[in-house]
Amino acid sequence: MTSKETVLQSLNHKSGGRIPVDFGATSVTGIHCRVVEALRRYYGLENRPVRIIEPFQMLGEVDEELQKIIGVDVVGIWGRQNMFAIDETRLHEQVTPWGQTVLVAEGIDLTPDKNGDVYIYAKGNRSFPPCAVMPEACFFVNAIERGGAVDDENLSVSDNLEEFGYISDEDLSHFAREADKAAATGAAVVAAFGGTALGDIAFVPGMGLEQPKGIRSVPEWYMSTVLRQDYISQIFEKQTDIAVENYRLLWEKIGNKVDVVFTCGTDFGTQTSQFCSVETFNELWLPHYKRMNDWIHQNTSWKVFKHCCGSIVPLIPSLIDAGFDILNPVQINAKDMDSQRLKDEFGDSVTFWGGGIDTQKVLPAGTPGEVREHVRKQCGIFGKNGGFVFNSVHNIQANVPIENVVAMIETLSELK
Amino acid sequence: MENIDKLYEAILKGNLPLAVEMTKMAIEQKMDPKSIIDNYMSKAMDEIGSRFENGKAFVPELLMSARAMKGALELLKPMLANSDIPRAGTIVIGTVKGDLHDIGKNLVASMLEGSGFEVINLGVDISSEKFAASVVEHKANILCLSALLTTTMNYMKEVIRAIEAAEIRNQVRIMIGGAPISSAFAKEIGADGYSSNANAAVSVAKQLLAV
Repeated sequence: MTSKETVLQSLNHKSGGRIPVDFGATSVTGIHCRVVEALRRYYGLENRPVRIIEPFQMLGEVDEELQKIIGVDVVGIWGRQNMFAIDETRLHEQVTPWGQTVLVAEGIDLTPDKNGDVYIYAKGNRSFPPCAVMPEACFFVNAIERGGAVDDENLSVSDNLEEFGYISDEDLSHFAREADKAAATGAAVVAAFGGTALGDIAFVPGMGLEQPKGIRSVPEWYMSTVLRQDYISQIFEKQTDIAVENYRLLWEKIGNKVDVVFTCGTDFGTQTSQFCSVETFNELWLPHYKRMNDWIHQNTSWKVFKHCCGSIVPLIPSLIDAGFDILNPVQINAKDMDSQRLKDEFGDSVTFWGGGIDTQKVLPAGTPGEVREHVRKQCGIFGKNGGFVFNSVHNIQANVPIENVVAMIETLSELK
Repeated sequence: MENIDKLYEAILKGNLPLAVEMTKMAIEQKMDPKSIIDNYMSKAMDEIGSRFENGKAFVPELLMSARAMKGALELLKPMLANSDIPRAGTIVIGTVKGDLHDIGKNLVASMLEGSGFEVINLGVDISSEKFAASVVEHKANILCLSALLTTTMNYMKEVIRAIEAAEIRNQVRIMIGGAPISSAFAKEIGADGYSSNANAAVSVAKQLLAV
């Protein structure tokens, strides 16, 4: 059975196959570049600069050599531009503040200022204030909120829609080329076409815009989900119009070379609770999600991947109603997110893509023996009757001991 | 005397303009600032905090209440500064170096402020030296440290070492919090208290100072 067939069998909740594995196919299932370099060194691969596949979280490319070692079954296709609207097709070597030589988009300069901070500029344009910063002692980038206080009198929905538009011919051709390459690997293909996340807080500050307007502050956005629901709903309505049209064009061009679309990374959970009530979710988000997902299901063979961190048990029935096929990252260390309960209550209706290993305690602070035991246990629970793609709870962070990552990889290999 | 009961509702519902209006009215009526805080503001923050902890209110509602409370408190601060009204204690709070996350930390700060503590919020990406200097400068009773990331939580150990090196460890209690933090981690690094949410942080602070 090919990797693609293994993944599709699991996504269709059929038992019998081995557990498929993802590391590196998306911006939420990846590995920090520092760990990628350590893995390459551990396995004796050529010493060369790791390509930064996603500069916001400084994720390193899990290339073919590492894919083979880890036993990866999924590959991703990425856009021409990153979230800072900087061209990702032209790369240069840079040294990170922690001394690692990497290959990163040319519009990104990783040289720290006198305080040790690295600044990034939307579109690489230094004529405007920076859109993001990697502070000293941090291993990834954080948005800088620009735009100032919200003026309700002059607030226009179009201000919060500036970054969402219809797909260009150039982007369509890019995705088609990438899909061809990815499909030829025999792995399952995940695509993040962009622009379809509804209220993802990572995108709210508008890091790809030189002068963002509208609601761009994170706390103000959260409060707006209560105070300005009409405004938010209008944004989601228009975004969904654009998304459906873009998906129509992409399906015509790419078709089933793509298996899974990662549409939305909006987090609805905190460590101990949710960001909104079930009622608010059902009123403000669900109708738009459903329209987008229904179109996908009625017109394509794609499965829909939803990333949503945190303690979200009360919201999972609504996420399933909205038509999501896949939940990630399955934050098993958050309140009430017991693995067995999740599998028993929702395992027939949704695929868990993640939850394979805890990344708050076990992976960064456990022993290799604890990692092995934990991975076996998680695979035993989630792997039953399909509906599971192994991945850690979110990306593997910069400080994870390499022996723990290796213990995880070896255990996965044993389970095969 | 005009009724300022609406101040409680204004803060509970997160209505900033009404909270400011009611507080101005209370000041004009020469109400005791401490009674405004204790009888209206703290009670409203207690209630929204309790609803938050019980899953009846969420981060947006807590942010709204905190904003309304802060708007009202700003008006009272000059009166508090010029009076000998006792505060529950002085707290220095910040997110540790390398970490820029501040929503949870700011909610903790607001809950503590709303409960009668004087709160010095240093912001995010704060070095151990700055934490130690601030504790000395403000004669803080409690130092609150926040981290969201597994890559920055260990910096809390460095802050505690800096507090010990400055020989002020016996003058200040240390509380920690943030998504990856646990009571076991607090114990491991020698912190005095931990809470998993903003509402519980108030109880922990009060217990630590026995107020």
